[in-house]
Parts: sequence; C-alpha cells; structure tokens
Amino acid sequence: MLVKCLHNGNISQPHSHKNNNDIKAKVSTIDEVIQVQSADGNVLKYPWIWLRDNCQCSSCFNPKLQSRTIDWRTFDISVNPKSLHINNNILSIEWSDGHCSEFTLKWLHERSFTKDNQEKWLNDVYRLPKIPWSAADFPSVLKKFDYSDVIQSDKCLYEWLKALAEYGVAIVENTPIQEDQLRKLANRVSFIKRTHYGEEFEVRNKPDTTNVAYLSTPLQMHADLPYYEYKPGVNLLHCLVQTTGEGGDNLLTDCLHVSKILKEFHPEVYKILSTTLVEWSDIGEERGMKFFSLYRSPAICEDRWGQFARVNYSQQQRYSHFSIPLEDVIPWYKAHATFTQALYDPKNMVQFKTKPGDILSFDNIRLAHGRTGYTDTKSNERHLIGAYLDWDIVYSRIRTLKRQLNLI
Amino acid sequence: MRAAGVGIIQIVQQLKLAPTRVKRALLTSQVYQTKSFSATPQCYISKIQNEEKVFSENEMIHVVNENGNYMKYPWLWLRDNCQCKTCFNPQMQSRTIDWKYFDTSVHPKSYSRSNDLVNITWSDEHESQYSLKWLQEREFVPATQKKWLTQVYRLTQVPWNAANFSQVLKRFQYCNLIESDEKLLQWLESLAVFGIAIIEGTPSREDQLQKLANRVGFIKQTHYGEEFVVRNKPDTTNLAYLAVPLQMHTDMPYYDYKPGVNMLHCMEQTTEGGENQFVDCLYLSQLLKETQPDIYKTLSTVPVDWSDIGEEKKDAFHTLYRAPVICEDKLGQFARVNYNQWQRDSHFNVPLEDVISWYKANAIFTKALYDQKNMVQLKTRPGEIVTFDNIRLVHGRSGYSDSANNERYIIGSYLDWDIVHSRIRILKKEITRS
Repeated sequence: MLVKCLHNGNISQPHSHKNNNDIKAKVSTIDEVIQVQSADGNVLKYPWIWLRDNCQCSSCFNPKLQSRTIDWRTFDISVNPKSLHINNNILSIEWSDGHCSEFTLKWLHERSFTKDNQEKWLNDVYRLPKIPWSAADFPSVLKKFDYSDVIQSDKCLYEWLKALAEYGVAIVENTPIQEDQLRKLANRVSFIKRTHYGEEFEVRNKPDTTNVAYLSTPLQMHADLPYYEYKPGVNLLHCLVQTTGEGGDNLLTDCLHVSKILKEFHPEVYKILSTTLVEWSDIGEERGMKFFSLYRSPAICEDRWGQFARVNYSQQQRYSHFSIPLEDVIPWYKAHATFTQALYDPKNMVQFKTKPGDILSFDNIRLAHGRTGYTDTKSNERHLIGAYLDWDIVYSRIRTLKRQLNLI
Repeated sequence: MRAAGVGIIQIVQQLKLAPTRVKRALLTSQVYQTKSFSATPQCYISKIQNEEKVFSENEMIHVVNENGNYMKYPWLWLRDNCQCKTCFNPQMQSRTIDWKYFDTSVHPKSYSRSNDLVNITWSDEHESQYSLKWLQEREFVPATQKKWLTQVYRLTQVPWNAANFSQVLKRFQYCNLIESDEKLLQWLESLAVFGIAIIEGTPSREDQLQKLANRVGFIKQTHYGEEFVVRNKPDTTNLAYLAVPLQMHTDMPYYDYKPGVNMLHCMEQTTEGGENQFVDCLYLSQLLKETQPDIYKTLSTVPVDWSDIGEEKKDAFHTLYRAPVICEDKLGQFARVNYNQWQRDSHFNVPLEDVISWYKANAIFTKALYDQKNMVQLKTRPGEIVTFDNIRLVHGRSGYSDSANNERYIIGSYLDWDIVHSRIRILKKEITRS
C-alpha cells in the first residue's frame, strides 16, 4: 500500500506508513530526514539528500563497479521525497524529480548515522583499533606465524596482518633461507613498496655505503625513512644469517604507547614534539642514482582527530637545517632528550634476536626500532633482506580477506 | 629487558570499567627528567681572542656577520650538529652522535673566532669547528629560513585559473627531457610550481612513460599496476576505462598515499570528444576560503569515506580512506584535494547533523569546478604526455564515441612527490655547481 505524501515542501505534518512487520517510515520535513522505526521502537534517521545521492538503481549505481554513477553536475540538492512505501524489508521512495529508489532495511541499518554503528563499521571495516603495549606486555603481544601457513592459508594470512595492524609487530617463522622468500610473502599481500633503495634491500656489512644501517655498529633507535612524506608502512626483515656471537639484537618500542605516556605525564613535552617541525633528510647515492630527500614533520604526528598517527625519530637522518623560530630550538632539544629517554626505557623497549628463517614484521609508522652492535667477521656474519609494504595495500588485503572469511 | 609487574594490556583487561584515575596511578613511574645547563660561579668561560666577533649569552653563541649584526645559535643545536668525524659522517651526510648519551647540560668551556671559523671547546671536552658559510646558511632568522624552504625544500606553488592558464601551461620536448638535465629540471619545476605541463614529441611506443619516469626515479605502483591503459574496456570495474564522460575527479582519493603526479601518454586520440579538463584546487580553495568561509570550513573538516572496491587482474581490492575534500597541512595551508563521485562510499561516518551541510558544500564546490572561470579544457594529440599534480588538480574528460575507427588510447602512470622533489633538489645542486 502506497501512502502518498502531500508534499510541497511546506508540510509540517509528516506522513507515515505502517506495514505488516510493524516497521514504520516517515518523512520529517523539519530536519529533512526519513525516519525508519523498527518494531523495538528504534528510530533511525537518514537525510533525504544522502538517500538520493546513494540511490542503488541502475542509473545511479553500477553494482559491478560498486560505484555511484550519478552525474553531480546535474544533481539537484533541493530534491525531496514525495512518497514512501515499505514492503518485504525494502523501503521505496518516490522523489520530487520523478526518480524512484529502493533500499533494503539491512543496507540502511548498516549505514545508520548512530555513533555506535559508525564506530563498529570503522573498527570492523575501516581500520582495526591499535592496541598499545609496553615491555611487560610484549611476550603476550608478540604473535608468531609459520611461513608456509601464511603462504597457503588465507585465514593465517589474515591473522598475521591483523596482528600487525593491532599490535604493530609479528614474526613469521620457518621461512626458507632463500633471498626471494620475502617477495613471495609480500605478494600474498599485494606488492612491495619501492623506495630509492630499491624493492628488496640487503642489511649486511657494506663498507663503502652512504647509509649507517649497512654497517655493523649499533643502530640507534629510529624509524625508517622519516624523510618521506609517504613513509613505508610495514617493515619486513628476513633473517638469512644471524651473528653467532653477541649483538645484532633487535630493539623495539611502541611509540603509540610512549606518546600516550608523554601526553599524560609530560604534556608540555608532548606538545612540543607534536607541533615543532623537524627536517628529516637523506642525501647520498644508491645504484648510481643520487638522491636528496627532505621532509618537514614533527617527531610525533597526530591525525585530524588528535590521535597518534606517526612517529619520526632518527639521529642520522635528521638534518642540521632547523627552520623554526630561534626561541623554539632549546625547548625542542629538551623535549627530544625526554623522548629519547622514554624510547630506551626498559619499561618501554624490548630486545630480542631473530634467528635464521624469521621474518620480523613491524609497523614502521608506529614503532621505533634499533639494533645492538655486532662484530662482523668472515665467520660471524649477519645478513638480512628487507622490504616494505604500504598500509593502504595491507588494509585493502585485510578487508578483502575478512569478507572472504565472512568476518564482515 | 623486561619490566617487572603486570603489563598495561592485562591491567586494562582486568579493569575494563576502571575510572581514569586508577589507570593513571598504574603509570606513575614513567616520568622523565633531563639535565639543563645552569650558570654557577664555577662555570668558567674564557674568551681567547677576537672577543667582539663572537660571544656567548643566554645559552647561545653569537657570531658577528659582515653587516655587524649578530647571528645567534643555541649551544644545544651547535653541539648536536658538530661536524667533526666522531659526530658526523660526511660520506653519509649523517649525524653519528649517539643520543642515548647526549648531555643536554653541555655548554662551551671556551670559544674563539678565527677568520671564517668558529671554534668551540665544550664542557664534555669535545671540540667543534663551524665555518661561517655553514652557519650563515642555517641562521635562525625568517629570511634565511624562507630562502631555504622555498629554494631547496619545496618550490612555492603558484595558483592559476582559466584566465591565466595559457601563460602557465609550458610545453617540453620528450627527447630533451631524456637527454638534458636542465630541461628535465624545468619540466619538474613547472609541475611543482603550476601543477601541470605538457610533453610533446613522445615516440609512439608503450614504454616511453617508463623511460621518462626512470629519469626522475621510478614509477609509483598501485593496485592497477605500474602503467595502466586507458581505453574502452567493457568488462571493467573502473569507470575510467569506459567511453562515457568522466566527471571531474582526483585519482585515488581512497589512498592515504595518493599518487602525486599523473602522466597520461596519448597514443591515439578520438576525432570528437575525449578532451581533458582541469581545475587548480589550490586556487579554488583560496577563493572559497575568502568568499565562502563556511563552505570552506565544511569541506576542509568533514571527513568523507573514499573507496574503491573491485578486482584487477583477478586480484581483489577494497581500499578505503577517510579525509575531507580539502585537506590542510599542519600550518593551515592547502595540502590536498579529494573529489570523486564514483569513489565516494555510501558509508558516511559523520554525525547526522553534519550531513546536509556537507552535501550543500559539495554542491557549491562542484559548481565551482565546472565554472568556466576555473576550468580549462585541452585535447592532447598522439605523442603528447599531459603531466599534472594529482594532489592539487582535479581533472575530467568529456565523453567520446568509441568505435573501431575512432578509438582513444592513453597510457597512464604515476610518480610520488617524494621522488620528484628529491630529483629537483639534486638537479638544482648539480646544475648550479656546473
């Protein structure tokens, strides 16, 4: 049964329709929404304009492309509903522009404009919430996966990527000792992120290098490539050969955790670190191509909601140019010293050594990492292969796997 | 190294509904202190010679320049940037100081100036030397810093509209870009400053974009591959691959790491239709900020859900990114535009009361994009590559009739700005030097 809405834009009495499932829908002209009320009394509101914009009919939406095809050059934002109809859990709307739309209640419910529903979608589909950890939590946080499982099983691939997204670190064990295995793992996600160091890079003693990572001295805590606006998201380090002697340990600190501590106990320090622009740089030559990378960014970056988004920390890739007001320089150094203390604090930093066959994977946007020194000799080498992934690509894979595994 | 006691996760799990003050109490041991310099009677600073050309005050070294003015440099910054071989590796151009042991109470024990060198002996017995030129380049004054930022960091972008487009659009010859570093630099500078440039005379082969990208650095790969073909593809999951008009849009708003530079190599062009359209959103956003600040505010704060769901070469993807239409940087300046009707998801995760005003703002923005005062139109010919800033410009395409003897065939590819800016800096340094 169709209820005609005597609608000319001036009506103050919204009309409603009731169907045999006790789901009601009515037009509200006051706030320009359609209200859908279910049997339990829950009222969900949908702006007309959003409904019209998201019409699912074949002239407005291409289901194969999963894309809106409406031409916004001719979109009329004064469009309004003339009548409503609910039948078999489908809401039908006749619009003032003569168009007709149909929406399933399920589709509507998934997109309802309530805080809870939106938060659920953001956490389930957009990005998994990050869980901060300290050194004490680390043993329960660090998950290990078997390489062949991750290669063969989509469920295991998902679990690995989930651990990375939530905790920022995970280890993949029993990787064959061959140089192409890292690429094989990356291809399970999608593709490697290339930088001016190439796609896969070797971490071993290279005496004539322009990068301190390629020497056997200790590597201070740092994040890779802070001088890229598009900084590599995930760092993969495949251990082929590990030093038998002392040293060559990996150091990790969760800067999501550290930034929360600083915000709470050193708010002035946090403010300085999250606002003062530092110049990160990398100058040198790799495979015959010169580079001069430069990027200005605070040590702690917030997103537009004030949440932790990214850490930048490096002594060797922090430039001598410092283009800030003179009076901000000394406070920044003091804040930086506090931050450094926190990064090396045993309550925050963990230390462990990977073994041949381990791929250490971690969130390079979130964690700082380092390496203890080692004595590199003919009979005591250390050889790792590294590669990066972008989070855009990792998150896309997480979503397609979740759908495939019916988790969303 | 493991801390004693229960970890934060366990605590949070046990005290799921615990008030904030309880959680706070469990973290109280994480307070840090750093040392500061404090002047005491025992602190002795000796001035050896040329006293008036250098002195120390307020935790800074003051150095006189040719004009008789004093340039000031904080001690901490000087010590942090010591250029000696234990602190700095010139081959790596990297600081090698281990900051685990950096003493923030370090101060000069003595200092001197001899001609163009400033010498400092520090309280930690370390000795540093700085050339005047090096110091001048890094002086903490706005004019010097502005010069550095606009000449080395990133060139200043110059906005344009339809009226001045013809003066803005520069053309280059493909072979010159391959052979000449000066021409390569000019092309990249045009892109950085104006956001658009055309390359002519490109051989009609599919690998020419790759060759050009290799002159800059390397191609940015996306889930559509490295080079993508833009031609009529009936079974596609992307509108760009059909012959219908393509509304104004930016490519890949659903990537946090959105491709910076778009390069479209025209291999074959249709006789009618198929024109490229462009709008400079740096210009448009400034205009809106000035003339319609409420609209600008909505567009620059309300986050939109951009998405791309489909399959490419049997590989499924579901990309998503939340960002406003107009993105500002940390200094409140224009940073990026996102605009796309078919890659804007039906999910809209904002409070209900923000929805209608966003749609009204989107409508005004759309109108402005198609306004003849802002939008320009050009048709590339076979052999031309149109290159433009995909972070800054919005582009579109008029429809065309695709048939067996009226095809349109474009090859596309992307570059990241990190790579382009790096190449600009190197080329400038080398060309200036020679």
